[in-house]
Amino acid sequence: MERLNSWIARLVFVFLYLPIAALIVYSFNSSEVSYRFDGFTFRWYAELFRDQMLLESLRTSALVGVIAAVLATVIGFLSAFALVRFRVKGRAFFVGAILIPLIVPEIVLGVSLLTVFSSAGLPTGIVTLVLGHVVITLPLATLVLMGAMSSLDPSLSEAATDLGASPWVTFRRVLFPLLRPSILAAFLLSFTTSFSNIVISTFTAGVGTTTLPLRIYSTLRTGLTPELNALGTLLVVATLGVILLVGVAQMRRILAGPRP
Amino acid sequence: MVDVNTPRTSRAAGYLMLLPAVAVIALLVIVPMVVIARDSFAVSDPLGGNLGGFTLDNYAKLLDPVYAKTLGYSLGMAALNAVVCTVVGYIVAHYIATRPAKTQPVLLVLVIIPFLTDFLVRTFAWITLLGSGGPFISLLRLVGVDAPSLVPSQLAVTLSLLYAFLPVAVFPIYASMRSIDPSLKEAAADLGAGWWQTHARIFVPLSASGLASSVMLTFVPTLGVFVIPVLLGGGKDPLVGNLIVTLFTEFRNEPLGAALSMVVLVLMLLSVAAAGLILRARSNRKAGAV
Amino acid sequence: MNKKFLAFGAVALASATVLSACSAGGDASSTGGAGSGSLSIYAWAGEIPDSVIEGFEAETGIDVTVDTFDSNETMISKLAAGNSGYDVVEPSQYAVQLMVERDLIAEIDKSKLEGFDNLAEKFVDPSFDPGNTHSIPWAWGTTGILYNEACTGAEVTGWSDMWNPDYAGKVYMLDNMLSAYIAGLQVNGLSATSTDEAEIATATDSLLEQKPLLGGYNSTNYADLVGTGDACIAEAYSGTTSAKAVEANPDVHYIIPEEGGTLWTDSFSIVEGTANEDAAYQWLNYTLRPEVAALVTDDASLASTNAAALELVADQSQVENPAIYAPADSLTNSEFIVDPGDALAYFQDGWTRVRAS
Repeated sequence: MERLNSWIARLVFVFLYLPIAALIVYSFNSSEVSYRFDGFTFRWYAELFRDQMLLESLRTSALVGVIAAVLATVIGFLSAFALVRFRVKGRAFFVGAILIPLIVPEIVLGVSLLTVFSSAGLPTGIVTLVLGHVVITLPLATLVLMGAMSSLDPSLSEAATDLGASPWVTFRRVLFPLLRPSILAAFLLSFTTSFSNIVISTFTAGVGTTTLPLRIYSTLRTGLTPELNALGTLLVVATLGVILLVGVAQMRRILAGPRP
Repeated sequence: MVDVNTPRTSRAAGYLMLLPAVAVIALLVIVPMVVIARDSFAVSDPLGGNLGGFTLDNYAKLLDPVYAKTLGYSLGMAALNAVVCTVVGYIVAHYIATRPAKTQPVLLVLVIIPFLTDFLVRTFAWITLLGSGGPFISLLRLVGVDAPSLVPSQLAVTLSLLYAFLPVAVFPIYASMRSIDPSLKEAAADLGAGWWQTHARIFVPLSASGLASSVMLTFVPTLGVFVIPVLLGGGKDPLVGNLIVTLFTEFRNEPLGAALSMVVLVLMLLSVAAAGLILRARSNRKAGAV
Repeated sequence: MNKKFLAFGAVALASATVLSACSAGGDASSTGGAGSGSLSIYAWAGEIPDSVIEGFEAETGIDVTVDTFDSNETMISKLAAGNSGYDVVEPSQYAVQLMVERDLIAEIDKSKLEGFDNLAEKFVDPSFDPGNTHSIPWAWGTTGILYNEACTGAEVTGWSDMWNPDYAGKVYMLDNMLSAYIAGLQVNGLSATSTDEAEIATATDSLLEQKPLLGGYNSTNYADLVGTGDACIAEAYSGTTSAKAVEANPDVHYIIPEEGGTLWTDSFSIVEGTANEDAAYQWLNYTLRPEVAALVTDDASLASTNAAALELVADQSQVENPAIYAPADSLTNSEFIVDPGDALAYFQDGWTRVRAS
């Protein structure tokens, strides 16, 4: 049964990368239509690097994604820590409040945010994009971190305190290392949510800050171009490349043995 | 840093730490929602303007069975997606959480990488894969099965919804499962508990908060999905998200859109509150049993 | 060890940022040149070729920023919120009407225009903007039918073929209310711009009757569906997508239905209260030049509204392609789809029922 479980999980990983494989293959397709493979070409990569508007959008999305994800992770961490480790009154109320953005249809949030920003005299741009994205990523980050913290064994920090560790030391040496992968999870989830958002961005983007998904979504009327396959391929390959690099360093450390 | 063992100061510190989140929610969620609530009672003009005033007409219009039908269909679709994503998410999260500590972050990142590629581009890749010219159908034809195109089909919709929402299912489940003491599992095995029992009695209850997050994070956003049903499902049955977008844009009737949004909002609040009550009742019962 | 992993997550994401930052950096230096002002344009994606923007920047030294939208309604709501920062927008015909009534676009001072007479007759004094007081048409097209002859097995001539039960499950309609009603009205011999309640009800009945035959509503990848044969026949817009589909597969054809034709056009308008009015007029004048207007056909596979531009199109086969330029004789009775005004409510009630049926 355990083995079956593992095989299903591995199959899911294959499932995750199937469209990516298709993307990579079709990024070299010389046909302009996606349903037929006509031959091999680098043309789309060349066009991609000439497409300044698309690259500018990629930069906007990456920038907004990183800022929004950092903010959401930090605010989410603080909230989760307060809600799980401290005995604040009205815990259910606060949890509920933080989760509201999840149950508001995005278009509603987008339209009303635009109204609020414009009556506050805040011009649409990077700032409004980031604010909008923090709203929708904060619940994700908070939930992930709350989940991680609430299943931590409370006796761990008690033990540390009993052994004379100050609360800060307990946090830094015991809690934080245990939570680190979950912090990474919260950050990654927030980043990709921001990076791929369409609806909120529609209403919060301003002059010169059209995000990548907005740019791509707006090309639907004239059809997606194969250069988008090239872009998707590069993003995935670049990230995989970094992982492999770090992975190799990791291997070497393991072979060299742990430091004393 | 605050001493966890002194309730009064820690409580004050707790509120301080909640302040940024409260500020974000109050200014960027509550205020906009008040705007929408007000708009839902406003009079609209055919140009797409909002004339203000007070009317119940918008809500009266929503009594048309057309809206109930769309809402019912959307809720069913969302429930299906939440179940599928959470089950698959559980399997993947469990797999990751039981790997060596060094591999876990790598696997997490591997789960998220495909999502750096644009959502639409990925969705189109699915169309290519499942469409009539694609490898899947070609393969079936090669072995002699004359399969019709899988696009549009309910299967294609379910698959691509799973694809779109998997990380938001995996991550919270993983986060809550990660800290489960592995010795519990060994203890269970020592006591002769089978795979099924180990999961039903240990892993599922101990990752309950993650599973609940997963259900919520996949259920609600499905209601707002509008690209996938159109591209992979043919778009004959609109989801409520689709309808709201239509009301706000094509019908340029912001007040009616706002009214429908309020209905969805209240429904969601009620279902979340109900889920919360059930979970609390369950955990109380369990606490009593221990 | 874990620290390292946390780091590489960040590195992975940073690589995306760096990848784009490098190339965007190159862009900044190239446009920095002899700057004399800036111009922010909000337009449909794919309708202003890079060659037009680059030519304009090189000649005027004005720094152009182009943002793209996915629907007229999105663009209007951004402008209606005020303070949008855009100087020039590109609304479709009915959106021009709405924006004029809501004071979102400025009246154009004709005395500042050069080359206005280059426009084709059809786009001078159009029904949606009498006297071109607020809009200068740039690109145009038709709403017609894209079909795959290998799948239909016969030539398709009009909307009535979209009600043919032989094609059940392989008929696609545009996922857009007013576009769907073009077919619904014209198939009954009614005007596509009807505002009569009874006529609209007749069209609604036809659309309801058609729904069981539909494979779906689709405004995005219908051309691919027709190309693969997953769709036999689809309601379609002319232009880039349809032209590509026709070019890629000899069985695919684009026609203007015999029941009548309808036109759409996207025009340049100046945003009310723009801070860069001079640059905006320079843009209008630049895009009115025949050699510039011809680029919309050469580089974007769209029809140009500029009569003098037609002979300057490098690839004349594009001008002959009905999926880009509808043949003149099929357009004799063609109308622009204009805003239905108060009749919008009839369309909405009908369309809500059609979609939910």
